[in-house]
Amino acid sequence: MREPLLRIEGLRTVFRIPGGEFAAVDGVDLEVPRGRTLGVVGESGCGKSVLSLSVMRLVPPPGRVAAGHVWLEGRDLLALPMEQMRQVRGSRVAMIFQEPMTSLNPVHSVGAQIVEAMRAHDPGASAAALKERAIEALRRVRIPAPERRFEEYPHQLSGGMRQRVMIAMALACSPRLLIADEPTTALDVTVQAQILDLLRELQAETGMSIILITHDLGVVAEMADEVAVMYAGRVVERAAARALFEDPQHPYTLGLLGSVPRLDEERERLLAIEGVVPPPFALPKGCRFHPRCPFAIEACRMAPPALEEIAPGHLAACIRAPVEQSVAA
Amino acid sequence: MSATTAQPAAEVRPPRRAGLLRRLLRDPGAAVALVFAVLIVLAAVFAPLLAPTDPYDNDLSLAMQPPGSPGLPLGADSQGRDMITRLLYGLRVSLLMGVAAVAFGGSIGALLGFLAAFYQRWLDGPIMRLMDMMLSFPAILVGLAIAAIFGPGIFSVVLALSIATVPLMARIARSSALVVMRLDYIEAARATGMTDFRLIWRHLAPNCLSAIFVFGTLRFGQVILLGSALSFLGLGAQPPTPELGAMASEGRNFLFFAPHIAVIPCVVIFAIVLAFNVLGDALRDALDPRLRV
Repeated sequence: MREPLLRIEGLRTVFRIPGGEFAAVDGVDLEVPRGRTLGVVGESGCGKSVLSLSVMRLVPPPGRVAAGHVWLEGRDLLALPMEQMRQVRGSRVAMIFQEPMTSLNPVHSVGAQIVEAMRAHDPGASAAALKERAIEALRRVRIPAPERRFEEYPHQLSGGMRQRVMIAMALACSPRLLIADEPTTALDVTVQAQILDLLRELQAETGMSIILITHDLGVVAEMADEVAVMYAGRVVERAAARALFEDPQHPYTLGLLGSVPRLDEERERLLAIEGVVPPPFALPKGCRFHPRCPFAIEACRMAPPALEEIAPGHLAACIRAPVEQSVAA
Repeated sequence: MSATTAQPAAEVRPPRRAGLLRRLLRDPGAAVALVFAVLIVLAAVFAPLLAPTDPYDNDLSLAMQPPGSPGLPLGADSQGRDMITRLLYGLRVSLLMGVAAVAFGGSIGALLGFLAAFYQRWLDGPIMRLMDMMLSFPAILVGLAIAAIFGPGIFSVVLALSIATVPLMARIARSSALVVMRLDYIEAARATGMTDFRLIWRHLAPNCLSAIFVFGTLRFGQVILLGSALSFLGLGAQPPTPELGAMASEGRNFLFFAPHIAVIPCVVIFAIVLAFNVLGDALRDALDPRLRV
């Protein structure tokens, strides 16, 4: 198999709180294949956003990455000096955020902001050349009349347009990896579809990899080649998207899939996962999901299950997987 | 695919917001203050054209002429110099001292405030404690100390006023920058690999500008008052240089025979300070997005 573009090993990001530390991301291993999309799914607070910020080394204090490696093209991003890390941001790894409404600076025109992002990696370029490239970037994200939009300010654009601008800005320096943290959550549904289409088209054009962070399984099903399901700071299941949706193995994934409304099935009511996500400073012993798990047995309380391959390319962190046995039992 | 990605060509343009000036002028007090401030500045700039005589041209035969004397609408001072000329030139010195102190002290203060907010973990404590220390010295005391070192003069006053302005502006800039630092676009800009310097310059500073501008306006009035006080105490502009505080100081010896010599500069100082205070308050209201209608 080809070397993946990005490999995360044993990543652990902790936040200091009065009286101790808690790990928002607790020993995560992930791989992002070249030119493909990895979907990271989980409930709010499961650590998926902190995971993406950890890759960018933008975890806000009092958080910090305590352990692990993030290998990108043979370099460990976590070990780079700050100045080199800055150069990686934007040019090798770029990021787009959830809120296009607030992710653009209201006092500069959108064009100026794209130019600014380019200048960070090409300080010698002339203003005219950068403007040319910025307009080209706007055109690439299918913004009509890019010459005119270049001059406009964020408040003059709709939410979908702003997210397009954010994407243009992120892709301005042709990164190999785009981290999209809930890129469509703040948009309405028709615009969501347009943005997802756009991301897919741009991926096909540039061959970049995408980490798509979302809580929306529909988005994952549409976009992702590989999926990682996170729960309470850990990856509980990892598989190719198709395998995960057809044959989910972790009880938490099952629960997530059961809570999505579907049009092609008769169902009285949606299944909800009982209970709530445990707060990170009061995690249960053993498997972190066991208090909410319908399949939990005594052994689940004892030791955290390892993420093990239960079928080729399909990993689950559950001692009762494969799940058919549990149901049969 | 093109069907879904094509955007409707309709323009998304919110109605044009009322301009800053229009919002400012909605308040009648602010309108008066603004007009007065502009007149004062124009008078200072064009003093050589407006002044009827030379500011150093004394005629002892006219000494202490009261306001309303022929050819001397505001009278003459103890040396027989035309009060109008002295006031016009005095305005220049006072306003220039104010501008210099606010610009110099304000920029340093704002820069320190930005650094404290941007590198909150390492620099916030040290910078702000230093500012607290500076705040604990009264401006007059700083002025005395500086005059003792560099000798009395306009330079000493500007330096003292700048030093007194630094910690105040640092606090304003810091608190404003702390709010901006939490906004998404700072993080988004950082994710594009921008250097810290450009983040501060391009993203942090412009969004703190309104707070800085409002405080600068308010502080300008205060600084003129303080500068006049220092000159009054003899630490600032030295005779025969016309300066409002120095003029009041010269006039106090004749308070009983010719009160106009001291009173008129004081009234002008009062009016300037009042105008800039009202203007600063009105600017704050006009720049506050929550109050925009």
